[in-house]
Amino acid sequence: MVHENERLAALARYAVLDTTAEDAFDELVQLASSICATPIALISLVDATRQWFKARVGLEAPETPRQISFCTHAIRQNDLFVVHDAQADPLFAENPLVTGDPHIRFYAGAPLITPDGFNLGTLCVIDREPRVLDPAQQQALVALARQVVVQLELRRQIAEKAIAEERLARVAHELDRFFDVSLDLLCIAGMDGYFRRLNPAFEDVLGYTRDELCALPFIELVHPDDRAVTITETAKLQEGRTTVYFENRYLRKDGTTRWIAWTASPATEEGLIYAAGRDITRAKIAEHELRRSEGRTRSIIDNAPGGLIATDTRGIIESANPAAERIFGYAATEIIGGRLDLLIGSNFDLHAARDRVIEVQARRRNGETFTCEVSVFEFYAADDQRHFAANLLDVSERHVVERMKRDFISTVSHELRTPLTSIRGSLGLLASGVMGEMPPDAKPVISVAERNSVRLISLINDILDFDRLESGKMRMQFRPTPLLRVLERSVESISAVALQDGVHIELQCNGAVVLGDEERLMQVTVNLLSNAVKYSNRGDTVVVSDSAEAPSMVEVRVADRGRGIPADLQKKLFRRFERADSSDARTKPGTGLGLAICKAIVEQHGGAIGVASGEGMGSTFWFRVPAVGVAVPE
Amino acid sequence: MLVIDDEEDVRYVAQLSLGRVGGMTVLEATSGAEGVDRARTENPDFILLDMMMPGMDGAATFRALRKTAETAHIPIVFLTAKAMASEVQRLKDLGAKGVVLKPFDPMTLAAEIRAILAA
Repeated sequence: MVHENERLAALARYAVLDTTAEDAFDELVQLASSICATPIALISLVDATRQWFKARVGLEAPETPRQISFCTHAIRQNDLFVVHDAQADPLFAENPLVTGDPHIRFYAGAPLITPDGFNLGTLCVIDREPRVLDPAQQQALVALARQVVVQLELRRQIAEKAIAEERLARVAHELDRFFDVSLDLLCIAGMDGYFRRLNPAFEDVLGYTRDELCALPFIELVHPDDRAVTITETAKLQEGRTTVYFENRYLRKDGTTRWIAWTASPATEEGLIYAAGRDITRAKIAEHELRRSEGRTRSIIDNAPGGLIATDTRGIIESANPAAERIFGYAATEIIGGRLDLLIGSNFDLHAARDRVIEVQARRRNGETFTCEVSVFEFYAADDQRHFAANLLDVSERHVVERMKRDFISTVSHELRTPLTSIRGSLGLLASGVMGEMPPDAKPVISVAERNSVRLISLINDILDFDRLESGKMRMQFRPTPLLRVLERSVESISAVALQDGVHIELQCNGAVVLGDEERLMQVTVNLLSNAVKYSNRGDTVVVSDSAEAPSMVEVRVADRGRGIPADLQKKLFRRFERADSSDARTKPGTGLGLAICKAIVEQHGGAIGVASGEGMGSTFWFRVPAVGVAVPE
Repeated sequence: MLVIDDEEDVRYVAQLSLGRVGGMTVLEATSGAEGVDRARTENPDFILLDMMMPGMDGAATFRALRKTAETAHIPIVFLTAKAMASEVQRLKDLGAKGVVLKPFDPMTLAAEIRAILAA
């Protein structure tokens, strides 16, 4: 059965079933009929369910069912199959083709054997009388059957060739279309230096018509500076070597220049070069721009005074600028690939240091350690990978200078106190009269000297306070502190001055408990109260009050009815050496540091300080500090 | 009482403040060593001791006074130009009765010291 399937497949390959009559086959059946002197001759092809006649003589039916066909038997053997008298043959006596139309009595079929050994059908002759074929007739029938197969082969080969040609034409057409639509330059050039065939992209890129391009040796279209290398490259192609990648510049018809990247393959026997080119002018310009911009960035990084070290996410160094080389004493090549924490301490955590400025103990190549200020930021490079970069500053010198400055301030301030103790003490004793009565003219002079010595002392105190606050040396002791006590003590300490200036102080306290340093909060409150009293008029009232500020903050307010502060001055007030009005300096003594100190103290408490004021409306200074709760009355 | 300070002017002002204003009898010493000697021989009611002195400074003088049998009981008040709370606390921790900051108010110095001694 497998064999039968293969036979049917072989038959299908000839694509002959149900085709129209063809002279070559018709002539062969005519010939068979006349040589064998039979009324009927057929070329019968045995299909799965039928036998179909490619050519026939003496029979009308184009096909008959396979079960009853004689040919089914004939194709089972490779030589001539003959039935002399069907009526006398038990195999065919009852066959409808014998008992009925066309009343077959004689059948002789020569199998149609393909070159690959499949019996497709027969060339058969049929008579309505019993008879025999002489040997010459038999030989002729077999020979004609071979001719049928030759014709079938021929027919098949012609058909296949037609299909192949059609396919070829289609491919050529497809290639032509690609050739035409390509944005890239496609060309065939002769070894003689002329273009043979060009695609339309050439016209767009170079601005010449294809005819113009083909009329010139192509080297003349190449930029003069690139002609030598182009000739060298072409020579290589002529030797049969492929151009993997080659760039040169072409001159457009309008005089501008185009960068073209080429790949080319030679066909030396045909004397042709097949080449594909791409206009890379824009990429070249972009590359140039990029290189320039990269150069600029590189130059900034190279000349930056701060060290800059880039790492991957694990802290492995990827690059280091010259400043980093100078700071650490290594060449970049020596540290690239190494760990950043070998330079700036093994406890250094890149991720934790991100977007902050921290100080670490770093180590130079010579083993010297130094204080290094580090700030880390992350960035994404062109590779889309996350990287880190550390900004590094050698602050050891700055630290020395800062320490010297602080030591200087501290020393000067302390050294000033000793002579001031004598001056202030002497003047105080004189002014008080304990040293005896002074001439009336001398009294105000002494009191000016005493007042100013006191002012000088508070200036020194403020400078020291401010320096300690700035350098972080002022240690705060944060503990739950009843605000009432702070405010009462503050009012008490200012009461003498207030009384002297005829200013009344009113205290309204709700008994909140804050988290703070009692002495420092008092310093702030006294400072605000002292200012309020200073800028009040005789007979005025200064109100100090507190109220809860959501969430969990308490606000202390000190309100006066003085002349107020213009809006533009309000913010400046909390800066060093700023006064509401510089003309006040003489009439209202102060250092200009008080509010800056208050601000620093309140901020160290995690709070805020500010003022609400308007000219002629008085001022309300406030500060907020964290609340703990409400004091239980004792 | 005894004032130990290397600065003559400060001693003078202190003497006036405590003596003339405060009505105390004031003895003087110009160095730590002299102070220890005078304290042993004169047995003052209290000592006002300057912190910053050349050679034997306030802290060393304080220890010497405490180690000497005749002076170990005398209350000592430090006089210092360092106004930091931590410094004041350090001196109190040393065993001082109190601390007076330079520059002081000559009219209230005696009262201030009396208050410290009474505490």
